[in-house]
Amino acid sequence: MTGVLPGVAPMAVPAGAFLVVATLLFAIGLAGALLKRNALSIFLSIELMMNAVNLLFLTYARMRGDLAGQMIVFFVIAVAAAEAAVGLAIFVALFRAHRTVDVDKIALLKW
Amino acid sequence: MPALTGQLVVFGFASFVAIAFALLMVVQKTPVRSVLSLVVTFFGLSVLAILLAAPFIAALQIFVYAGAILVLFLFVIMLLNLKEEAADKDDRPVQRTLGLLVALGLGGLLAGATLRAPVPPRGSPVGGPIPMPDEIPALGRLLFSNYLLAFEVLSLLLLVAAVGALLLSKRRFE
Repeated sequence: MTGVLPGVAPMAVPAGAFLVVATLLFAIGLAGALLKRNALSIFLSIELMMNAVNLLFLTYARMRGDLAGQMIVFFVIAVAAAEAAVGLAIFVALFRAHRTVDVDKIALLKW
Repeated sequence: MPALTGQLVVFGFASFVAIAFALLMVVQKTPVRSVLSLVVTFFGLSVLAILLAAPFIAALQIFVYAGAILVLFLFVIMLLNLKEEAADKDDRPVQRTLGLLVALGLGGLLAGATLRAPVPPRGSPVGGPIPMPDEIPALGRLLFSNYLLAFEVLSLLLLVAAVGALLLSKRRFE
């Protein structure tokens, strides 16, 4: 089981274009994570960053003709689902305790 | 080569939609609109996945991300009754510009690095059209042979996450 893609046509779109799109999406997600104050929006930006990395994995899998990259994306998506469930539960608990999810106001562990 | 240019058009459209709605997500003040913009971005990303000969991942992206995770986000936003983000009355311009600078700098750095990184081709990605029906069985066989342990650990992780989420969102700990 080497996981080599069987006879895939040559790429019509240059791989570099996919890499640039993935990097742009990652930068946008990073900007969102740094600039937003609502914890949920920050979480959404992190999801976008994960998806940008997934796109990068898929591009490299296609470039190398290797299915291992797609496998890793599968695991990333599953772990992201678990992470989203736990993270959102934490936000619900946080909101119950403080009536806000603004990260500027939640500074319990800060100083 | 009409097929190849068609792929280029689809790529351009999908990546434009993905990037435009990602920007929209960051700019939006209302969390619900952010989530809905991200849904559109994920659809664009799944089109890109199909172009990369990964139809299984494309379907997974829509089912799990757009279908499950973002709906979970919407439910939580409705549960918490979040309105607009607190207006920028105590805006912090230093933090804002620093954040933008860091994002742009890291983005440029990563773009340069990924474009310059050498990727030695492996296998023989030549000849024939993309064999859609053959590829998913190959993924399944790989999942249950090389990645079997990771798969089982993953199922345990999902169970723990489900129990943990239940426990965390309970009204009181006892």
